[in-house]
Amino acid sequence: MNNVAQPMPHEPRSALRVTWDVWSAMTLREFIARTTADRMAWFWMIFEPLATIGIMIFIRTYIRSSRHISGAEFIPWLIVGLMGFYLFRACMTQPIGAIDANKGLFTYRQISPVDPVLVRCWVEGALRSFIFLLFILIAALFKVDMSAYHAVGVLMDWLSLWALGSGLGVLFSVVAGLVPEVGRIIKMISFPLLILSGVIFPVTYFPHQAQEYMLYNPILHGLESMRMNYFQYYHSIQGIDMTYLWYWALSSMTLGLMMHIHFAPRLKMR
Amino acid sequence: MIEIRNLYKRYHGPFGGNWVLKDINLTFPTNVSVGLIGRNGAGKSTLLRLIGGMDFPDKGVIDRKARVSWPIGLAGGFKGSMTGRQNVKFVARIHGVRKDIHQLIQRVQDFAEIGKSFDEPVSTYSSGMRSRLAFGLSLAFDFDVYLSDEATAVGDRAFKQKAKDAFNERVNSASLIMVSHSEGILKDLCQAGVLLEKGHAVWFDDINDAIEHYHNTSGKK
Repeated sequence: MNNVAQPMPHEPRSALRVTWDVWSAMTLREFIARTTADRMAWFWMIFEPLATIGIMIFIRTYIRSSRHISGAEFIPWLIVGLMGFYLFRACMTQPIGAIDANKGLFTYRQISPVDPVLVRCWVEGALRSFIFLLFILIAALFKVDMSAYHAVGVLMDWLSLWALGSGLGVLFSVVAGLVPEVGRIIKMISFPLLILSGVIFPVTYFPHQAQEYMLYNPILHGLESMRMNYFQYYHSIQGIDMTYLWYWALSSMTLGLMMHIHFAPRLKMR
Repeated sequence: MIEIRNLYKRYHGPFGGNWVLKDINLTFPTNVSVGLIGRNGAGKSTLLRLIGGMDFPDKGVIDRKARVSWPIGLAGGFKGSMTGRQNVKFVARIHGVRKDIHQLIQRVQDFAEIGKSFDEPVSTYSSGMRSRLAFGLSLAFDFDVYLSDEATAVGDRAFKQKAKDAFNERVNSASLIMVSHSEGILKDLCQAGVLLEKGHAVWFDDINDAIEHYHNTSGKK
C-alpha cells in the first residue's frame, strides 16, 4: 500500500484553495442529497409549486371569479410571484437545518459551520432557478406566453431575491444554532409572509393604509419589481424600491457572517 | 511537528464548568509516536480532538506544522443516503485530492474489503462495515500524524490485525498520537508518552516511564 504514489497534495494548500475544495465537494454532495434523497425528490420539487398554482387557479376561477390583474395575465403573474417567493423561502429556511444536518462533517477541520450554510443557499437557488426555467417552458407548452418584457431586469430581481433569502438564511442559521426555537418560528411565519408579500392576492387589492405597512416587507419590493419587469403594462403600488431590499440583504448577510465568525466554536461544538 | 502553547480548555455547561485542560505546553516532534494516558475524564480525548482541530481551545495556540488526520475510524461524517464510494469521494475532494482520486478510492476499497456494498448506500451497512470503511478511509490518505481514539477503533479480529499491520507499516513515514487504555498496544506502537492528570500534562520520552508513573499515581489514590 505504501509504494503507491501519494495522492494527497504535498504542499500545504492556501486557505482559499481549501475553501474552494470544501465548497465544490459540498455542492456536489448537496445536489446529490437533494435530488436523490428518495425516489420522489425530483417529482415533489416540481409538483409542489405546480399543485399550488393549480389550487390557486381553481380558487380564483370558481370561488372568487375575479381573474383580473391590471396589466398582466393571472397565471403568468402567479407563477412569477410564487417562484420568486419560493426562491426566497428556500434560501431562508433551508440553511437553518444545514449546521445540524452536517454535524458529522465537523470531524474534518477543513469544514466550518458557515460552509454548509452557504452551500445550501447556493444549491437551493440553483435548483429554484432551474425549476423556474422549467415552468416557463411548461407554460409555453400550454400556450401561456411567459416571455419576459425586460429579461435583464427580471434576472436582476431574481438575483436580488436570492441575495435577500441567502442573507437572512445565513443570519438565521446562526441564531437558530444558538436558540433552536427560532428555527421553528421562522418556518411558521413563512405562510403569513406568502400573503403579505402579495404572492396570491395582488397588493393593489389591499387598502391603502395597509399597503404603507406592507412596504416594510422587503420581499414585496422584490416580487413587485420582478413583475413590473416581467409584464410591460403591469402596475404596482407606489414606493417599490430595490435599494430597500438590498439594505436588508446586505446588512443581514454582513451580520450573519460576523456572527458565524464569532460563534463558530459554539456552533461546531453543539 | 505539532506545538501546543499555553492551552486552556473547559466545557461550558449551564453552571459554568471546570477547566479540563490547564496550561498545557507540549511539543510533538516529527516521527515520534505518542500515547496519551490518564484516568477517565482526565482530558485525553479532549486533547486529541483539539489537536485534530475538531474543537477549539479557550486560550492558547495549537500550531500544526504537519498534515494531521482526523481521529481514525470516526464514521460520523458519512451520509447514509449516499454510497460508500460517494462518501469516500467527498472526503477526498475536501482534502484536495483531484487527479488521483480513483487511485485513492481503490486504496480504500482494497483496505475496507466490503465487496459490492461499496456501491450501496451507507445506511444499509452494519456497524462493522461502517468502521471498516471509516478505517480504510483514514489510512488511504498519507498524513504525517494520525490521531487515534480507542473508543472509535473497532472491528473483528482479522480486521484488527490488518489495522495494526497497516499502522506498523506507516510508523516509518508517519507518527501516531493515540489514546488507549490497553498498555500492550501503547507499548507496541508508541515511543513517547504524555500523562494527563488534573488538567496538567507531563511529557515522558519513554512510554514505559509514562505508564509506570501512571500506575504509581493512580495506585495511591
